[in-house]
Amino acid sequence: MKPKNIWKKAWGAVLALTMSAGLLAGCGSSGEEDSQDRSQSESSSGEKVFYYGDTTFNAENDESDVNPHNGYSGWACIRYGIGETLFRYSDTMELEPWLATEYENVDENTWRITLRDGVTFTSGRELDAQAVKECLEHLVEVHERAKGNLKIQEITADGMTLTIRTTEPVPALMNYLADPYGCIIDMEAGITDDGNVVGTGPYIATEVVTDQGLTLVKNENYWDGMPNLDTIYVQTISDGDTLTMALQSGELDAAYGLPYSSLSLFSEEPYTISSVETSRSFFAQMNYATEALQDERVREAIACGIDKESFTEVLMEGNGSAAVGPFPSNFTFGDDAVTAPEYDPDRAKELLAEAGWTDTDGDGYVDKDGENLTIRWLTYPSRQELPLLAESVQATLGEIGIDVEVNSTANHLDVIETGEWDIYASAFVCAPTGDPEYFFTTHCLDSSTHNRGGYHSDRLEELEAQMSTTFDAEERASLAVEMTQTILDDNAFIFASHLRMSIVSGEGVTGLEAHPCDYYEITVDLDKN
Amino acid sequence: MKKYAIRRFIQLIPILLGITLLSFILTNIGTTDVIDTMESNQGVVMSEEEKDQLRQEIGLDKPLAQQYVIWLGNVLRGDMGESFVSGKDVFDTFISKLPATIYLTVTSIFLTVLISIPLGILSAVKQNKFLDYLIRFLSFIGNSLPNFFVSLLLIYFFSLKLKLLPVMGNNSGWKSIILPTLTLAIAMSSKYTRQVRATVLEELNKDYVQGARARGIRENKILTFSVLKASMLTIVTLLALSIGSLLGGTAIVESIFMWDGVGKMAVDAITMRDYPIIQAYVIWMAVIYVVVNLITDLIYHYLDPRIRLGQEEA
Repeated sequence: MKPKNIWKKAWGAVLALTMSAGLLAGCGSSGEEDSQDRSQSESSSGEKVFYYGDTTFNAENDESDVNPHNGYSGWACIRYGIGETLFRYSDTMELEPWLATEYENVDENTWRITLRDGVTFTSGRELDAQAVKECLEHLVEVHERAKGNLKIQEITADGMTLTIRTTEPVPALMNYLADPYGCIIDMEAGITDDGNVVGTGPYIATEVVTDQGLTLVKNENYWDGMPNLDTIYVQTISDGDTLTMALQSGELDAAYGLPYSSLSLFSEEPYTISSVETSRSFFAQMNYATEALQDERVREAIACGIDKESFTEVLMEGNGSAAVGPFPSNFTFGDDAVTAPEYDPDRAKELLAEAGWTDTDGDGYVDKDGENLTIRWLTYPSRQELPLLAESVQATLGEIGIDVEVNSTANHLDVIETGEWDIYASAFVCAPTGDPEYFFTTHCLDSSTHNRGGYHSDRLEELEAQMSTTFDAEERASLAVEMTQTILDDNAFIFASHLRMSIVSGEGVTGLEAHPCDYYEITVDLDKN
Repeated sequence: MKKYAIRRFIQLIPILLGITLLSFILTNIGTTDVIDTMESNQGVVMSEEEKDQLRQEIGLDKPLAQQYVIWLGNVLRGDMGESFVSGKDVFDTFISKLPATIYLTVTSIFLTVLISIPLGILSAVKQNKFLDYLIRFLSFIGNSLPNFFVSLLLIYFFSLKLKLLPVMGNNSGWKSIILPTLTLAIAMSSKYTRQVRATVLEELNKDYVQGARARGIRENKILTFSVLKASMLTIVTLLALSIGSLLGGTAIVESIFMWDGVGKMAVDAITMRDYPIIQAYVIWMAVIYVVVNLITDLIYHYLDPRIRLGQEEA
C-alpha cells in the first residue's frame, strides 16, 4: 500500500470517529440543549427565568426525585415549592397553619384538623379531607419512617375536617406532619415513573432528572398569590468551586450549599447572603467502653480542652455558632437555657491531674502507669466541617497533654462496628421537626440506635418516660432543657457548633431567605428583577 | 484475522465472570452497606426495622453468594437491575451517561493528537534548540498540573474573566465541551509530546534515515513517510490506553464541569456501595479494555508488516 493511502485512511478514520461521536453525543444532549434554547427564547420574550444551583438534589442524599413518599425526596418537594404540608414552622421554629388552619387534640390518641378553604392541587382537584386522607394513608403504607413516627391507626374525612386516631399517644404528631414527607399530594393524579407528583405549591415540576436537576413552571392557580417567576431551573452542582464560579459568572441567579471559603466572595453588592442557624449540629460522643473515658474527670477535661469559639470563628470562617447543647438558641429549649464546660485549658489540666494523668516522662503528653493518654478521634470527611473540627481538637487537646489520633474516613460506620474508637464526631439535624424528643430517642437512651458509645443515665431515662406522654409544648420544652443539661453534666456528648446555613442570591433576586429548619427555599415570594 | 477477533471476544467471558465476582466480593467486604451509607449521609436516624425493610426490598438480606447468582442470572437475561440508591434502571442510567463520556473522549483524544504529534516532531527535529526547550518546558508544566487545577484555571480565565465560555457543561450546546476537552487534552498532550519526541529522535538516529538522507530524499518526506510511520506503534499503544481510561470516565473533570458522564456515576456508586451500578461499570470497563486492545492489535497488523509477516510465517 502506498504511504499516501495510509494517511488518507487514517485521517478518514479519525474524522469518521469524531463525527459519529458528535452524532451520538448530540442524541444524548439534545434535550438539554433544547431546554437551554427554550429558556433563552423565553427570557427574550419577557418571561422570567430563574437559575438555581443546589448541592442537595441527588440520589446520594436519598433525594432522587420530588415524591415525598420516597425516602427523603420530600425535602426536594417542599424546598422547590412543589408541595406544602398541613403545618409549617415559623422563623422561631413554632408551628403555624399552612394547608390546615387549626388542630384540636380531642384526646391523647385523637387529633382533629381543620383544612384551609380554597386550596387546589395543580391538577385542578380541590384540597379536602378526603384528598389528605388518601395521601397520608399512602404515605404510611410505603414510608417506614413516617409510619413509625405518625403511628396512625385510622383517618376519617368529613368535608374539610380530618380526624386522625393514633395507636398510642404521639405528642409531636403535628410536628411530624410538618416534616417534608408530610407534603400533601394528589393521589388521584398519582406519582409518575420519574418520581414527579402533583402538589399545591407555587410551582409545578415539569421535568425531574435524578442527580441533574429539575424544571419548574409557575402554578397560575396558586392559592396564596401569584408566583413571580415563569420558569425555574434547579441544577444539581456537586462541586463547590463550580457552584461558586457559576454564580460569579452569572450562569446562576442564586446558590445553596456554597463552600464556606467562597462566601466572602459574595459579601458585597450585587450579592446578598441570607444566613440562619440551623439545628444541624456537629458534636462528639464518648465511647464508654474506653477505660480512660469512664472517668468523668477525663471527660470533663476533654470538654474543657475544646476551643469551640476558635473552631467556629476561624476554621468555619464564622459560618456557625459555638454550641452548648444540641439545639441552637433560636429554639425555646436551646443553648440559652443550658450550660456546658467552657474552654479552659488550666481547668482541664487540673482535672487530668486529679484523675492521675500527669506528664511524668516530659514528652508533652500526660500519662498514667507508663501509658500516654491517647484518644482515637473518629469522624468522616463528607461534611467539610468535621475534619476541621478534628484538627482543631487535635491541636487544643494536645496543648493539655492529650494525644489525639484522628481517623477521618468514609468507612466510619465500619470502624464503629469494630469498636476501635474513643470519641466519635458527627453531624446531625437534632430537631428536624422542631421537637426536641427526636435527638434524645435517637442518640442518648439505652434503646437509641445512635447511642454509639453506650451512654446510660437513669435520670435521662426517667425524663424521657415523662416526655413521651407530655403533650403541652411548654412542658416539653422544659423537659428538653432538663434532658440536655443531664447529658451535658455527664459530659457524654460535647456539642461543638451549629451550622449556619447560607443562601446567596445574585443581582435583582428577592424573596430567597434561609430558614432555620432548612425546608423552605423557593416560595411564592421569590422574584428576579 | 476474524478467528483471532472471535477468540479474543470468547476470552472476554471468563474475564467478565472473574472481575464481576471479585468486585462483588470486594464491595461487600465492609460491615456497612448502602442503607447505612444513606442514613449517614442524611445525618438522620432510621430504625432497624426501617433499614431491614429497605434491605429486604432490594435483596440485601440474602446471602452474598445468592445475591451474586441472582444478579448474574438477571444479567444473562439482559436485566442489569435497579440502582439501590435512585431505584432507576441500571442499564438505562448507564446508557444515558455514555454519550457524554464518548463525546468527551473523542474530542479530547482528537485535540491531543492534533497538539502532541506536530509538537513532538518539531521538538525532535529542533533538538536542543530554543523551540525544543520551550516545548519541553511547557509539556513539563502541563504534566505537573493536576486536572482539577487546570479546570479551575481555565474556568477562571475563559468563564469569569473573558466571559467567553460557560462554567457548567451539558446545557450550553457545543460551547460546553471546550473547557473539559482542553483540560484533558492539556495533560495528555504534555505526556504525548515528550513521548513522540523521544520516539522520533530514536528513529531519526537509525540507519535507514541516514540511508534515505544519503539518497537525497527530502527531510519532510523522511519524517512523514518513514519516521512517523515507524513511531506510530508506540503512539498508538499509548493512545489506546488513554482511550480506555477516558471511556471509563473522568470523575474530577465531570464533577467540575457538571459533565454528566460515567466517571462521576462510578465514583458516586462506589461511595454509596451501589452494587448494581458498580457491576455495570466493571463490565463496561472490561469490555472497553478488551475491545480497545483488540483494535490496537489489529492496527499493529496494519502498521507493522513485521508482525503481520511474523504471524503468517508462524
